[in-house]
Amino acid sequence: MHTRFTCGGCLALLLLVAPLAVAQDSERNRFFVQQMIELAADGNAQGVDTMQRMLEQNPKPAATDAEAARAALRRGQEALAQDDNTGAALSAFLQASRDDPGNLDAFSYLGLSYRKLGQLSDAERALQIALSLDPSRAVAWFQLAQVYGLQNDQRRARGALANTYRYAQNPMRAEEILRSIAETETAEPLRNAALETLRLYQLPALAVIVPPIPVNPDIQPLNPPSGARRP
Amino acid sequence: MRFPVPVALLLALIGTPALAGQYETIDYHVQQMITYAASNDASGVLTFREQLGNLRRPQDGDANQARPLLQQGESQMARGNAKEAMNRFRQAFIADPTDANIAVALGSAYARLQRWREAERLLVYALSLAPEQSAAWLALGEVYAQAGDTQRATGAFANAYRFAADPAQLAEHLRQRATGDTRDTVRIGALQALRLMQPGENPVTANPATPAPVTPATPSTNTTDPPANSANLLGALKRGLTQLATPPGNGERPAAIPVGTSAPPGNSGQQIYRRSLPRTCLIVTFRNGKLADLGSGLLVSADGLVLTNNHVIENAQNLAVRCGERESTAEVRRRGKNPDLALLTTSLRGSDSFILNETYSPDLIGLEVFVIGNPYGLEGTFSTGIISGLREMDGVRYLQISAPISPGNSGGPVILSDGTVIGIATMGLKVGQNLNFAIASAEVIASALFDAARMKHQPLQSKKP
Repeated sequence: MHTRFTCGGCLALLLLVAPLAVAQDSERNRFFVQQMIELAADGNAQGVDTMQRMLEQNPKPAATDAEAARAALRRGQEALAQDDNTGAALSAFLQASRDDPGNLDAFSYLGLSYRKLGQLSDAERALQIALSLDPSRAVAWFQLAQVYGLQNDQRRARGALANTYRYAQNPMRAEEILRSIAETETAEPLRNAALETLRLYQLPALAVIVPPIPVNPDIQPLNPPSGARRP
Repeated sequence: MRFPVPVALLLALIGTPALAGQYETIDYHVQQMITYAASNDASGVLTFREQLGNLRRPQDGDANQARPLLQQGESQMARGNAKEAMNRFRQAFIADPTDANIAVALGSAYARLQRWREAERLLVYALSLAPEQSAAWLALGEVYAQAGDTQRATGAFANAYRFAADPAQLAEHLRQRATGDTRDTVRIGALQALRLMQPGENPVTANPATPAPVTPATPSTNTTDPPANSANLLGALKRGLTQLATPPGNGERPAAIPVGTSAPPGNSGQQIYRRSLPRTCLIVTFRNGKLADLGSGLLVSADGLVLTNNHVIENAQNLAVRCGERESTAEVRRRGKNPDLALLTTSLRGSDSFILNETYSPDLIGLEVFVIGNPYGLEGTFSTGIISGLREMDGVRYLQISAPISPGNSGGPVILSDGTVIGIATMGLKVGQNLNFAIASAEVIASALFDAARMKHQPLQSKKP
């Protein structure tokens, strides 16, 4: 009886601890991603490299159903591209990330969908998981920078943009993207972050004197569809 | 599968990490080609050209998305709108960074905007995609010439000639630069490149259509000689220049049409709009480092004085203005509540400015007026109406106008059909329709803000008997 109890306790303990360990791994990895942002924002390339190596040494979570995950990912991409149906896309990407927790595309798109829906904390978390799976993923860094921009967190937006440039496949293209944001983005934190990033890498940068004027949100269709707000 | 543009842009960023110092590697090869070209070492140029061609090419971009943007940029550039052209070329480049023509177009647009560092980087990058693109070498030569680096300008111009599809045409282009360009470094660089590439000919007289300079710069018959002393060369060129009957254009933008010169095509409204837009300003105010309010203003002196309403700027901690394509920070020079006016100093020197019309009489009633401003941030909004009446309120003379104005128009010009400013859009009745008011220019001229030495005004028109 005592033995059975002990074994049962072990099993229960294992069942409890295993997800806990996974959760701890996930939290630790997100911490490393945060460190990469902080270090990049300070221009500490060596520190960023160290954190990147630590993340890359971690074993990747195994897929429970890789094929189902790929199918869900395709569905999500189609929902985004063809229907602009972010809600359906989000469900599909959630499914893909559950079926294959090591699929960084699933988490990257999940972050994109959450951002489009304005769920910024969820977007940040999904993108941090994507980056813990592949810390050299420029597109995920860029998306994360946009999330921080929307959260008015200029410093972290700068760190994420710095990593976008660092890991971009074509740095000249990334440089022009940064310049475009620094000169035309209406959201001030992201615009300033892009300018700071260009300066961080000692790239030519022009600080705008007159900031871009946002499109007037009160401009509405004269004949809105039924149910829509009248001007 | 097709993705919407932002998603496609994001996806295009995905890929293997860049090699450290990718641009520096490209730049090293390009600079070597320039150095060898400047010393007329063809084999050195070709060696590094080959090495440049062996560097890893970036992944293909989206040409279908980029092409229309390139065309839009070219169209804007043809209209002299370099900033807008640069924005379109930049979007085209982001869509397809593997198209050398787009990279050259963007680099050239940066050069037009005098952003030399950006221009150099784009043109060097373009040469990594197409090391034999003569246009990229030519543009890069211009950038170096502008930066005062004659040696590198010479090398880049020499490569432009070396790789030209039509060397005779390129030589003629360089010849025009050597004789007709207003900038010393461009002339010297072009002349030296011609001497390197055409050692047996007199660079500035090779084309019989080009008039011979009185004292031509003597080309060296020994191509290994060091370049001629710049000062001597310059003197010879300047003397030669004076003899040229029709110096070729230097590619600079035409100046804006000043008031009183021949009118641009279009109806009177279009003409007023085109003339007035570069002199009408967007006023941006900041508080605690954030954008606070928007208003309008007008340039009233050649050294950048901008007139607006006091209520536009009274709560601002910092100010910036955009007049046409030019931008500047601004400081309050003088302001007052009655009349509700403020005069700002900016760095927009050499500006075309409005003439204030001092007329204030019942004869004005019924005249057509034009208003430009930025209502609700809609920049450069143009509206028309008539002068509906003359009103005096709190001792200030106003024109009542029927032209529609809204918040954001405050401080903008109310213009007569002769292009002079008759009032400053200031306020309107919330009830009724198109019952709006502008402070009469006569009031501005009578106020302490008016600076007769710097601001132009049209005196009172004498009443005809």
